[in-house]
Amino acid sequence: MKKLYSNKLVIFSLVLPGIIVFLFAILAPICLSVYYGFTDYSGMGAYSFIGIENYRQLVHDEAFWTSLKNSLLLAVGFICIQHPLALIVAAVLDKLGGKAEGFFRCVYFIPNVISVAVIAYLWKFIYNPDFGLLNNIIKVFGGKGDINWFSNETAIWAVLLVLIWHGFGWGMLIYYTGIKNIDPVLYEAAAIDGANQRQTFLKITLPLMKPVIQVNVTMAVISALKQMETVYLLTNGGPGNSTQFTANYLYQQAFKAFKYGYGNAIGVIFIIICLLATVFLNKVFEERDINPRRVKGAA
Amino acid sequence: MGFAGKKKNKITKPLLWFVLIAVAVIQIFPLVWLVDFSLASSTEMFTNGLLVIPEKIQWGNYAKAFADGNFLLYLKNSILINGLAVVLVILVSIMAAFACRRMRWKLSGFVKTLLLMGMMIPIHATLLPNYKIYSQLGLTDTVWALLIPYVAFSLPQGLFLMTSFMESIPVELEEAAVMDGCGIYRIIFQIITPMLKSSIATVAIMTFLNNWNEFMMASTYLSSEKWKTLPFSVLEFTGEYSSNYAVQFAVMALTAAPAVIVYIILNKHITKGAAMGAVKG
Repeated sequence: MKKLYSNKLVIFSLVLPGIIVFLFAILAPICLSVYYGFTDYSGMGAYSFIGIENYRQLVHDEAFWTSLKNSLLLAVGFICIQHPLALIVAAVLDKLGGKAEGFFRCVYFIPNVISVAVIAYLWKFIYNPDFGLLNNIIKVFGGKGDINWFSNETAIWAVLLVLIWHGFGWGMLIYYTGIKNIDPVLYEAAAIDGANQRQTFLKITLPLMKPVIQVNVTMAVISALKQMETVYLLTNGGPGNSTQFTANYLYQQAFKAFKYGYGNAIGVIFIIICLLATVFLNKVFEERDINPRRVKGAA
Repeated sequence: MGFAGKKKNKITKPLLWFVLIAVAVIQIFPLVWLVDFSLASSTEMFTNGLLVIPEKIQWGNYAKAFADGNFLLYLKNSILINGLAVVLVILVSIMAAFACRRMRWKLSGFVKTLLLMGMMIPIHATLLPNYKIYSQLGLTDTVWALLIPYVAFSLPQGLFLMTSFMESIPVELEEAAVMDGCGIYRIIFQIITPMLKSSIATVAIMTFLNNWNEFMMASTYLSSEKWKTLPFSVLEFTGEYSSNYAVQFAVMALTAAPAVIVYIILNKHITKGAAMGAVKG
């Protein structure tokens, strides 16, 4: 058995496909990004090495800082609005039972299976100043309903609303699964001791959900950092760079502004930020938790 | 997972129902609005109400969307590419998981960590360099330009889930198989794989959910229609019918339909699989 299980050739053949995919699709592009990040390549023609010039420029690039600030804002939105709501709805849903429970669970998750392409265009119409749903809702409640949602000041909130709305079902589902895994005996004991629903939620559900909350919060922060597709279709970072996100910005720089080298430099910093954020969050939660659950971040 | 048997609470306050229904309306009403407008004519949309009752239901919108949105071709591409990606991810992750979890070699931990690193790398950072690599190798506009990154970015999660599930399989089974003269490959594919059924389903669902709606890579690496996937029905359509809003609504509803229908039919399995994948991964 030992001999069979340490056969180098067999081991090699088993991990080879995975390693090839990793080298070709993940490591090679990262190396190439590092390389082009040191050049002034436009995407075509000749280029020369300019050292760390791109990175120096990046430090003073306001759009880049705006994009990080927007990621932070989105993360705060996820953590302060989406997650408390998702957790409460999950806890209420858990008590419901029967057909209704399954029905609501299904309904809440539906936006998640719909393509970002559809979601983004749908919300563009919802925000439409002429026949959009949101202005019409305001009219129904007696308002004027002529708001331009994609103006300089409101655009970022319009984007955040879509992202918080779209990801709600996913967050809810994870909390719901966590709550379902809590031993019902604990609830029965609490009921015998005369605890009311609020007390049960605060004293039993919430503490026991701590590891799930940590996983969920980590994933939310990472996904806020990685956000690109919705923004790309909804506003493409505009007006100006007010709704810019890092991934969208590096894409624009490379393919629209023809600063391929600069785009890659942003990419390198972007990867480093994501790695640091994941490691940092794992560390923070590890220290506070005796029995940590490692998160590698959402894909 | 313990979905069964919890003592139901007798106090179902109206307030709780209100919260549940309000959230459900917020989540689903935009989609109702979408379907409603897709059946109206473009002129009927300029209303002050929330929904319109179309004078005549405009099925023609869907006919146009179906034909001019390349719906069937893109749907076929989506199914084919995602199906292949799922099969490859499962195969490669089972093999790698077995090697890293069960086999005895010095670098097993290192290789596993290396492969899992992919989870932390933001996909969109690889768009620029991958575009360069694929065009150098002549892979742009081929099925490989999608298949390779789809597999690469779903593999870490697949590997992670497979290794954690594999731990729960008793080693004694394999020992018996080795006694009977089974080789490693037969152990993996005839003994281990059948026992991983539920985790295979989870990995398949996660991979599908991750890649089905992806369009950033597709629009960067593809130029012709040949391998474009379902989101392109919407992306290309808006330019073509920029003033005919109703048809745009129809194409959006049509594009969303396959995933929503499959989800509603299989919703129990999908929510269970997705939850398992998300909580573990």
